[in-house]
Amino acid sequence: MKYRNPRIPEGINVSDRHPLRELLTLAGGALVLLVLLSWLMGQFGGRLARLLPFEHEVALAPVSMLRSDAGPELQAYLERLSTRVSGQLDLPSGMQIHLNLDGGDTFNAFATLGGNIVLYRGLLEHLTHENALVMLLAHEMAHVRHRDPIVGIGQGVAIQALIGLLIGDPSLAVLGSAGLYTQLHYTREMEREADTAALAAVQGVYGHIHGAEDLFRVIQARRENSGGGEMPAILNSHPLDRQRLAAIADLARARGWSGAGQTTPLPRGFDAWMKDAAGRAAAVERQR
Amino acid sequence: MYELILLLILLSLGYVVGQHAERRHYRSILQREERLNSLPAIASRYPPSEPHYHQALVTGSTVISVDYFKRFLAALRSLFGGRITAYESLLDRARRESLLRMKQQASALGASMVFNVKYETASISKGRGNSIGSVEVLAYGTALIAPRDR
Repeated sequence: MKYRNPRIPEGINVSDRHPLRELLTLAGGALVLLVLLSWLMGQFGGRLARLLPFEHEVALAPVSMLRSDAGPELQAYLERLSTRVSGQLDLPSGMQIHLNLDGGDTFNAFATLGGNIVLYRGLLEHLTHENALVMLLAHEMAHVRHRDPIVGIGQGVAIQALIGLLIGDPSLAVLGSAGLYTQLHYTREMEREADTAALAAVQGVYGHIHGAEDLFRVIQARRENSGGGEMPAILNSHPLDRQRLAAIADLARARGWSGAGQTTPLPRGFDAWMKDAAGRAAAVERQR
Repeated sequence: MYELILLLILLSLGYVVGQHAERRHYRSILQREERLNSLPAIASRYPPSEPHYHQALVTGSTVISVDYFKRFLAALRSLFGGRITAYESLLDRARRESLLRMKQQASALGASMVFNVKYETASISKGRGNSIGSVEVLAYGTALIAPRDR
């Protein structure tokens, strides 16, 4: 008998598929899967968070971060405005709004957990009349009314949990991180609905919507000046200002709201109140 | 961000170095297979009875480790299932290298063929979760050495 090893053709036990092509296919697939899962988890988390009763949401509020630098007159004025808006927004009983005026320069305003609204002097001092201020208040209060802060956090936590599980670090300490509360991310849809509700509230308060759109003009002007730098939360994921202004006009036309009317001036002491708030904020900074 | 850059560096390093080593290794394997083809390795357990061969155990062993790129590919593959083609070439190389080393040993003994050839594999890093995956491939057989006086 003759013993020999015949030559075996190459490529039977190995695949000649290019490894980079394989990498692209697999990584692409994994990415699609991840995006899909994140979206699903986000939806799930948001829905779940909405079920949390508002009374329990209050306990989650980042109290340590909140303070009001407003003097008693300014605080009382803001509370009066918010009470008028509350009536228009039809807030459920027990949904208490807490206004926190921060004397800092930040050009921003946001709503966070437990009905807390943070207004920065840096934004307020740019407003030229009360109607724009009411629009701003109503917009943030509409977020609270729609439970957007807790839904946003629910989505964020669910996605974070998913990512944590995937990379093997399931730490759910995210609720403790303070940054989350100020960087709440609302979807465009949430913003649009808040705008709509806010505009209806302005119409209810003044009988016309004239001046409400000035809020967005101020924001737009600021955006153009800052050259598209860091955007305040109220602008994040926002429909562009121009689209937003157009949407306001459309809504007013559809509902038959009047765009003509007198804007209500801000109280005479408003500028002084702002300076006072800035002073209080500076004092707090010095103490640190 | 830092981790992502590290990942990309490791991936490209694994890919470039791994591919280069693989091509070079295959070239060497083909050359040596050609040279040692005159010394057949046979799976049969029944050696020829004539002439009365001397017998000796010959072994060839290779320990391989997976490069970062292949490990990444395999991990991705485990999400979807299917052939882990990245490992196939690695194990193919290990098997052929082991057989060649075994034949080399047999050739040094002056054998004319190796019978009852078998392969064994062992995972060296077994049970240690995140450690580098290393595998030993062992080829062994009975070398048949023709008596000298004939």
